[in-house]
Amino acid sequence: MTATGGFRLPAQPGELIDRSRLLPFTWNGQRHVGLAGDTITSALAADGVRVFSRSFKYHRPRGILTASYIDPGVTVQVDDEPNVRASHRRLAAGMTVTRQNAWPSLRYDVGTANQLVGRFLTAGFYYKTFIKPQRLWPAYESVLQRFASGGRLSGDSVHGYYDKRYAHPDVLVAGGGPAGMGAALAAAQAGARVMLVEEEHELGGSLRWGGVEELALLSELRAAVAAAGVEVLVDSVVAGRYDDNWVSVLQRGLPEVQERLVKARVKTLVVAAGLIERPFVFSGNDLPGVMLGTAVRRLVNLYAVRPGTRAVVLSANPEGDAAVADLRRAGVEVAAVVDARRGEDIHRALGKREVTGVELADGSRVDCDLLVTSIGWTTPTSLLNMAGDRPRFDAAAARFRPTDDLPASVLAAGGIVGDGTPEELVAHGRGVGAAAAGRAGFGGPSLADLPPPLTGRPHPGLFRGRTHGMVDFSEDVSSKDILSAAREGYDSAELVKRYTTATMGPSQGKLETVNTIAVLAEATGSTIAELGTTVWRPPYAPITLGALAGRIFQPVRYSPMQAWHEAHGAQPLVAGMWIRPDHYGDPAAEVRTVRERVGIIDVTPLGKLDLRGPDVPRLLNAVYVNKWSKLEVGSVRYGVMCAEDGVVMDDGVTGRLGPDRYLMSTTSSGAAAVWEHLEGWLQTERPEWQVHVTPLTTSYASINIAGPRSRELLARLTEGVDLSAEAFPYMRVRAGRIAGVDDCFMWRIGFTGELSYEIHVPASFGLHVWEALLDRGRDLGAAAFGVEAQRILRLEKGHLIVAQDTDGLTKAFDAGLDALVKLDKDDFIGRRELVWSHERGSAYTLVGLQPVDGSVVPPEACQIVRGANTIVGRITSSRMSPTLGRSVCLGYVLAELAGPGSLVTVQLPDGARIQATVMPHLAHIDPEGRRLRV
Amino acid sequence: MSETGPVARSPIRPPAPVQVHSGWVVSALRSHAPLRLGDRSPLAKVLVRGAADGTVADRLGVPFGRTGRDEHGTLVVGSGPGEWLLVAAPGAASDVVARASADADGEEFVSVVDLTHGRALMRISGVAAEQTLNKVCAIDLSDRVTPDGTAFRSSVARLATDVVRDDLDGQRSYLVHCERSSGQYLFDVLLDAGREFGIEPDGFRYPEE
Repeated sequence: MTATGGFRLPAQPGELIDRSRLLPFTWNGQRHVGLAGDTITSALAADGVRVFSRSFKYHRPRGILTASYIDPGVTVQVDDEPNVRASHRRLAAGMTVTRQNAWPSLRYDVGTANQLVGRFLTAGFYYKTFIKPQRLWPAYESVLQRFASGGRLSGDSVHGYYDKRYAHPDVLVAGGGPAGMGAALAAAQAGARVMLVEEEHELGGSLRWGGVEELALLSELRAAVAAAGVEVLVDSVVAGRYDDNWVSVLQRGLPEVQERLVKARVKTLVVAAGLIERPFVFSGNDLPGVMLGTAVRRLVNLYAVRPGTRAVVLSANPEGDAAVADLRRAGVEVAAVVDARRGEDIHRALGKREVTGVELADGSRVDCDLLVTSIGWTTPTSLLNMAGDRPRFDAAAARFRPTDDLPASVLAAGGIVGDGTPEELVAHGRGVGAAAAGRAGFGGPSLADLPPPLTGRPHPGLFRGRTHGMVDFSEDVSSKDILSAAREGYDSAELVKRYTTATMGPSQGKLETVNTIAVLAEATGSTIAELGTTVWRPPYAPITLGALAGRIFQPVRYSPMQAWHEAHGAQPLVAGMWIRPDHYGDPAAEVRTVRERVGIIDVTPLGKLDLRGPDVPRLLNAVYVNKWSKLEVGSVRYGVMCAEDGVVMDDGVTGRLGPDRYLMSTTSSGAAAVWEHLEGWLQTERPEWQVHVTPLTTSYASINIAGPRSRELLARLTEGVDLSAEAFPYMRVRAGRIAGVDDCFMWRIGFTGELSYEIHVPASFGLHVWEALLDRGRDLGAAAFGVEAQRILRLEKGHLIVAQDTDGLTKAFDAGLDALVKLDKDDFIGRRELVWSHERGSAYTLVGLQPVDGSVVPPEACQIVRGANTIVGRITSSRMSPTLGRSVCLGYVLAELAGPGSLVTVQLPDGARIQATVMPHLAHIDPEGRRLRV
Repeated sequence: MSETGPVARSPIRPPAPVQVHSGWVVSALRSHAPLRLGDRSPLAKVLVRGAADGTVADRLGVPFGRTGRDEHGTLVVGSGPGEWLLVAAPGAASDVVARASADADGEEFVSVVDLTHGRALMRISGVAAEQTLNKVCAIDLSDRVTPDGTAFRSSVARLATDVVRDDLDGQRSYLVHCERSSGQYLFDVLLDAGREFGIEPDGFRYPEE
């Protein structure tokens, strides 16, 4: 094949192609060469290709109809990408383009058989046919899938880069034709920030395929737009308009980004979407070779492609006449011009695989390979509908036109409003653009200064001719389908749409809505004006799921020791946003390290809040259930927080570091909620209290050093602190220098049940201290342990975890915290409810449990049952204890079963039941706490 | 204890080559790309809280949402109502804390907390910094709404982030900071967002050049 192809014309004044750049590509395995600037279809049409796809339902051959983005019959697969709009997508070198929806080939498509049974595939076919018997649906499905339209995704496809962007233009103009450019220009000149969005690859709209004067006007406008600093987005489409002018724009074809969703907050939206040429309904109107006048003009003028050899043109307007002129200039023999303005008409298009002739209204036949229709327009009022407008049908102009029923922040300009010469459209756009800037606050004209609206010129009302044909080219809905739906009672626009699926295909009504309504009006004896249109909803154009998803943002949090964990084989545990080491290979061994020697665990995610001010004790007394007035400097205390309803919300220890300075720790998962809780309390309930709360969770790397040799290990690295049991007893806090790092805190607490120190070191030195501990503790057998080992250790010790061993109904007394709750305090959050709860007693009580068969670990959340099926409790935590060599649990049982020694029945997930004994303490190990206090 | 003393590490992995600067392990890269992202976590960061109309507010002289520089070259960020973040040279935190504490007149309830180790701080500079940030942040970054010297807190790639516009020699530049633990995430997100604009990681320098 040659680059110019058999149908390539000599240079055209407005052509977009670069004849010096040849782009080889393949179409269904055949080599072709197109030109830079070609679309896929223009390149193939230049080589004489006429059939591009098989239709959705009947698998009828389809070709170019509109030569624009919405061209319904030219959806193809490009490399790995399905559903590419071939009349819009620019050709690129090396593209592998293949047909969709035809099997085994475009020429011999098995699905064509659907045409033979077409009369059974009418409206509602699926609803009526595949309902019963239900058990056969999988069989139906597998067969139907073979004939389904759409391309194929490879499992190996590289995920494209899709993203989003936020924008805040003062004025956004949807549509870059003469009116849109005029509006953008005027708004920018008034000082507004303007975004101009054009669906095609370049600005200009219909000026692009005009004559010398139009092209001169176009180049003048383009230069002015560029000079005015307008942000121009081409190959982009305004997909939706939402409340407060929240406007979504889909941007395509960027160098590094496959598709981008621009979320624009716009002060004034100008809709300058122009007009879309409407097909005519007649027999054979979907044959390849039947084209709209604008398609002809695009092919000839933009791509220098001769669309056929011998043409018949049905024209009802100047655009059709211009198409005739273009065809003649392109050397196409115009066999007949049928002028609808004089009442002339065509009967049907002839041909099977493509058009071979036309039967005129008088019965005569004209041979041709191209039938062009220019019979009227659809007004793409979609964005105006989304702003609340319900356009009215103007019978004289034979199209819907917008009303003034719009918010002040949405304006319409140009062809969507009415007709005019290019200069009149530009002038109207300029007037609207200036008003848009004025409404956005840029000193320009007030609302009254909107230009006079353009009027609609008279146009013959042509919708369906003398025969039946395709109404919806995307969904294969014919005018007969609409008539039959109406006969079945689906007699409103909305009903007929849902029943027949007309207007529901990829072109979303842009080509078919008005014809659907017109045929329905004909069937019901009403008028288009009476029926109105269906509601246009976002998106205006198809959007990929990739664009909606954008980049996947999943914030994560790492401790300063993360690099060490990764290097030492830590199994990651996702805990909220935190990524934590679950274990380093053998959690049971990690438990033994702690019980027998010394282990260190990274507990950086523990919430840490700096509390300062003279009223901190009052705050602590308010938020914790226990007493805080007498906490001395250097001491720490365990506390439990309840919500107003007495339900346990968090726990942790708080230490007093100085007279007016405290450090509160919270659970890892509760850190943010507790901070909000404290701020909420301080800002709304007790604004007079002098307390400042500053989250310091990640300011400190936190390490728990646990085990009988923890004191010995810490002493090797600590300066300035006496770690002896007498000088630094249990539940105390000290500040000092660890491994050469100043400003560290260490507190003696014991979640694991062992002698342990929790140290908090400035986070940037966390890794240094961690490594120093392991290095200096080598001879002591020091090793790291993970979250799993810590969970086992604390379970052995009977320490509860809030939100694991409590839930959204667990009040403080239920969780066995009786000794902690000080109802004699004046007040605290949850007190009223807890007083009540104390009087009533708890239905359930948290207890330690040991299965009689110590080799069985009942999974967490197992029910404890009585009799056949009565639930009397549940397991909240369970593990095999490496220390005891048996399974241990925490769980809730009915208060009457909570006595030590009670035997309860646990139902396992497989239905089996085991016995478990209620223990005297929550702690399975060292209930007296001797190991902690050495 | 090592003989050389401990070195501080930022939450953001420093791109090679690395060096030690003011006790911190930092990247010694030097990028001349039109869009650059550099870790500034070693800078001292001190949070001051007091009455929005008190003595400290007067001394600092920076309202909520704005920035200024004091006579020591410290960047004062009005990060919240009655809340200021002071950003200074690496290692200067204790001096800044001392000065800020001295600003309080004793009557007013003021607290000063060193957040140097608790925050990740990075700087993105270049003409396309605005476009890059607008891919991950919904705030209007135009001169009209957020001119040089603006500070705000917003969601950046779904992370609570403080953004400070701090142009350098008239060139668009932002300091972006978040909780330390998410520093690497935010750094990676900004590098990803800036890819189409040719972003490059840059090394640590103080003062800025």
